[in-house]
Formats: sequence, structure tokens, C-alpha cells
Amino acid sequence: MIRELSALTRRELLRIARNPQALVTALLLPILYLLLFGQAFDLGALAASSPGGQAALIASIRGAPTYFSYFSAGMAGFVAVTATLFIGANVIFDRLFGVLKRTAATPATATSIFGSRLIAGSIQPIGLAFLVLGLSLLLGHLGLSGLQVTASLTAVGAVEIVLAVVILSLMFASLFLAIGFTIEQPQSYFAVVNAINLPVLLTSAALYPWGTMPPWFRNVASVNPITLAVTVIRENLFAGATAYYPYGPAVYLLGLLGWAAAMMVLAIVLARRALAPKQ
Amino acid sequence: MTAAIQVDGLAKTYNGSVKAVDGVSFSVEAGEAYGFLGPNGAGKTTTVSMLTALLAPTAGRAIVDGIDVFADPASIKRRIGLVFQESTSDSDLTGRENLQLAAALFGVPRKEVAHRIDDLLQKLQIADAADRLTKTYSGGMRRRLELAVGIIHSPRVLFLDEPTLGLDPQGRAGFWRYVQELRKEHGMTVFVTTHYLEEADGICDRIAIIDHGHIVATGSPSELKDRLGGDVVTIRPANPGLAAAAQTALALVPGVLAVTPQDGTLRVKCLRGEELVPKLVEACDKAGVGLAGVSLKRPSLDEVFLEFTGREFREDEGMTATDMAVRLGQVQQAWGRSRR
Ligand SMILES: Nc1ncnc2c1ncn2[C@@H]1O[C@H](COP(=O)(O)OP(=O)(O)OP(=O)(O)O)[C@@H](O)[C@H]1O
Ligand SMILES: [Mg+2]
Repeated sequence: MIRELSALTRRELLRIARNPQALVTALLLPILYLLLFGQAFDLGALAASSPGGQAALIASIRGAPTYFSYFSAGMAGFVAVTATLFIGANVIFDRLFGVLKRTAATPATATSIFGSRLIAGSIQPIGLAFLVLGLSLLLGHLGLSGLQVTASLTAVGAVEIVLAVVILSLMFASLFLAIGFTIEQPQSYFAVVNAINLPVLLTSAALYPWGTMPPWFRNVASVNPITLAVTVIRENLFAGATAYYPYGPAVYLLGLLGWAAAMMVLAIVLARRALAPKQ
Repeated sequence: MTAAIQVDGLAKTYNGSVKAVDGVSFSVEAGEAYGFLGPNGAGKTTTVSMLTALLAPTAGRAIVDGIDVFADPASIKRRIGLVFQESTSDSDLTGRENLQLAAALFGVPRKEVAHRIDDLLQKLQIADAADRLTKTYSGGMRRRLELAVGIIHSPRVLFLDEPTLGLDPQGRAGFWRYVQELRKEHGMTVFVTTHYLEEADGICDRIAIIDHGHIVATGSPSELKDRLGGDVVTIRPANPGLAAAAQTALALVPGVLAVTPQDGTLRVKCLRGEELVPKLVEACDKAGVGLAGVSLKRPSLDEVFLEFTGREFREDEGMTATDMAVRLGQVQQAWGRSRR
């Protein structure tokens, strides 16, 4: 079991490493958001022009020092999701080119076929999420809008941030693998995945200030998995943020874990079905 | 001897309407090479897919190496090897990496992996390309790699679905030499589908002719040919004047069905011509007839096929697995090019 999992994971990693174009595409999105959207969308300038505006802005972004700081944590979560899109597509191309059939003809279990793709496919999104945070910090040091960490980050806090990013990536990687094992045509895959990706982003608190959302929207956003992960990051990076959130980071992590567990079970069931003798 | 493959009433209907395999029954002895011979769309790949637990049957039973295929797909997969009709190797891996992956998944003992891979690469003459990505392989090289991947774990039963499709004559000969070697060494059972008649003739102990999902005839290649009425041995006396004497002598040899003179030669119709030739020569010798030449013509499996199905090998309507394999190969190549 360990041997087949590591052999399959090695195959997935080699394959990702040998197709670096996918990485370039995945990198482009967060960089554009940080360098263009993040720089131009300056709520701070707006707030400074009205009396009491600054305090209202900080309340609206739940204790983050600047909108960019709030938004960069959101982008880390968003990137962890979009960079998992390709791994479901890989399943479809593998089916098209017979590689999946070849694997189905070996004694490898569906669980390790899924698991290897999950492990290999999550490395890139996790790396990109931290790249976004690092790049945001760097932008701040360069005198541009950037991420300002105002809390003193504890070891536990750092672990919580890492867990949030890892679990979020695993959750969406599982979801997209589940879809990849179910859908046979690349076009339909991308249609379905796009129909999931953007709505999930746009119903999360990754981009919008919490204070500007209508209450019903907050209800939706507060159970959104991207919101859960991003909240863990924000509570740990911004001093005074905890006062704005009803729960501590551990609670949000648990919620995220629930989502991830559900998606993994779904993916294993669908992978098993896809690899069983065809009806 | 126990049966390595035992099939009873196996059937597959696709989408409730296409009867691809319509109740076939046969058994293959351990160590035997058994051929499934049939035209495009006959149901060969469908049968192989069911016997290798990749496709669920609509009806019927199959036991492979003592295990019920449909009750226990996982343990079947450990015991068998499968070479697909189409290319399934991983184009982003090198030949060696493809083999390493297969070795790990089939649980080949770690100590043996490197040695076995080198041996296979060398015997199948792809050692020079072993460390190149397989997307740079030619069709024939890819085919050889497919075979290597299919037998890396020394399976007890090997399924070959048109394994030599697209191989040049040398490649074909090398491939079969290696399969025969494995049979001798490990007593491996081979189930092969093909529409190359000569190939089935040369390799298989027994053949089933399949058409429209039905087995229409079975037997050893020579039995099938005998059913067509046997061989023709043509004998040319050195002195045409002695033809009549030779005819009388030859007609008395047991096994000879008929002797007819034709343009100074004698056409001897018989069963098992090969075995009879020495006796025919001896009979002429005793009758004092010197010979200028002897030739043997056996009916080919082409004629056998014609006899049992009433048709030449046909090109069927619709897209069959062979077409799909060819098209997929084209797509794959285009894909590989676009990514390079
Ligand atoms: N997935 C499928 N869905 C529907 N029909 C199918 C499917 N696969 C095969 N068939 C049909 O079943 C019949 C048998 O196909 P099969 O692939 O078993 O033939 P074959 O003997 O392997 O042919 P070839 O020599 O072309 O490889 C054909 O009529 C084919 O069109
Ligand atoms: Mg076929």
C-alpha cells in the first residue's frame, strides 16, 4: 500500500514537474491580483477623506490594518483553490490517453490512485498560497500597498495558518478530483469546475470587507470554506482581530476539516466507481 | 492439466442494444497459447476486457487462474498481464520510469526490479531509448514498451490484444520470440487476439474464430485447415514419362486422398501433408521414379476464415477499437507535439 502510493505519487510529481507551463499559468493570477487589483483598489484613500472613516474601515475589515492586508489573506485562500483546478483535468487526460485504464489494470487500489493525486496535486496550491503571503509582505517593504502583520505571530498561530492552507487545498483538490473521476470530456469538466470556482470565491469573505456585506450574504459567507481558512489567517496575523470574530481559529479549522473530510469521502467513492469494472 | 481460463456463456451487450459478445464458452489449458481470431468489431477486445476484470459482463462466468474474475477483480489483476490494443504508456515518463511504476504496482520484489527492467529493455530492443520520455518514441517502440509493461511481473496468464499492431516484421518476430521464451521458462498461459492469420497460425496451440460475438469454429491451426480438405503436395518426376508409374505408387500410400496429374506434375491431396512428404518420396523411390521437385501447399487461415464465416475479412461499418487506437495515437502525438 505504501509502495504503491509512493510510486504513484512519484509519477504525479514527475508529471507536474515536466509540465511547468501549468505552474506559470497558476502563478499569473495571484501576481496580477496583487500587483494590479490590490494596488488600485485603495479603500484606505477613500476612508481617509471622511471624518471617522478610518475607524469605520477597520471595523469593516474586522481589525485588519489595511484593506490590502485583509485582501492578501483572502488571495492566499483563493489561490489555494484555483491552483487545484488542474488536477481533476489531469485525470480526464489520463483517461483519454489510456493511462487511467493502464492503472486500472494493475492491482493498485482506488484509494491510493486518488491519494497519490491528492498529495502531488496539493503541493503546488499550498506553495502558491504562501507565495502570495510572502509577496504581499515584500510589496509592503517596497513601499507599495502590502501586507502588514500587526499581531505577534505565535508558533501555534503559524501552525494554524499552515493547517488552514493545507486543509483548504486538500478539500478543493478532493472536490476537483471527484469531478475528474466522474466527467469524461475535458470541455464539460472545465464548464463544471468554472461553475463551482467563481461562485465559491464570490460567496466567500476573501475579497469583500465584511462590513459591506448584507446580513444574508454574511450567513452564506460564514460557512464558505474559503472564508473559514481565510479567517484563521486573519485572526492570527492582525492584532485585535479576534475581538471581531465570534470564535477562535481552532473552531474555523474544525469547520474546514469537516468540509475536507466530506469531499475526500465523496472523491474516494467516485474514484472507486470510476476504476471498478465498467458496466 | 487444469484450465487456466474457463469461460461459460460470457456475453456483453453495450447500452442495452449492441451485442458485442453473444455467449462465448471455451477453456484454455495452463501453458497453452490460445488465439482469438476475428475481424474488426468481432468482440475480441470486449472479451479481453471482461476476462481482465475491466468490464462487467451482461451474462456468464469466467474463471482465470482458479479465480472467479467477477467475484474478485483485485486478485485477478495481480495474477495476469495485459497488453492493450492501444497505447497506454505514460508519455510524460521515460520508458524506464513506466516500467518502474508498473513493477511497484504489481509488487515485483524490490531487489529484482532494476535487473528485470534492464533485461526486458534489452530483449525488446528499446534499451537505447530507456531514459527518453515515451512521447518521443516511435509507434513500434511504444508497442514494445507496452509489452514490457505487461509482462514485468511475470504473470501466470498473459492477455495480448492485437499486440503486434503497427510493428514491423522484425519487431513482430522479436516480440513473439520473447513471448515464446517466457512460455517455456514460466509455463505462462497466453491468450492472444489478432486478425493477422499467419500470426495466429505460427503462435497458437489452438484458435477460436470469432465473428459477430459468436465463436464459429475452434481447433488447432492444422485441424482447422484439415477441415477444409487438407493439403496439396505437388510432385515433379525427373522424367515426365514416369508420371503414370509414380501416380500408381503414390495412390497406395496410406493418407493420400487423391492423385491427379497436371502438366507433368502430380497433385497429391492429403491430410497432414508435412508428415506425408517423406513417405511420398520413399514410395516414388521404391517405384524407381527420380524426383525433380516436391512442394507442399497448405490452405491458409484466410481460407479457413472464408469457409467458416462465409466472408473475407471485412472492414466493418462504424468505428471499432482499432480505428480508435489509431485515432487516439494521432491525438496523442499531436498533444505531445503541442506540449513540446
Ligand atoms: N464502449 C462501447 N460502447 C458501445 N459499443 C461498443 C463499445 N465498445 C465496443 N463496442 C462495439 O462492440 C463490438 C465489438 O467491439 P470490440 O472492440 O470488442 O471488437 P474487436 O473484435 O476488438 O475489434 P477490433 O479488431 O477492431 O479491435 C463492436 O460492434 C463495437 O462497435
Ligand atoms: Mg479490439
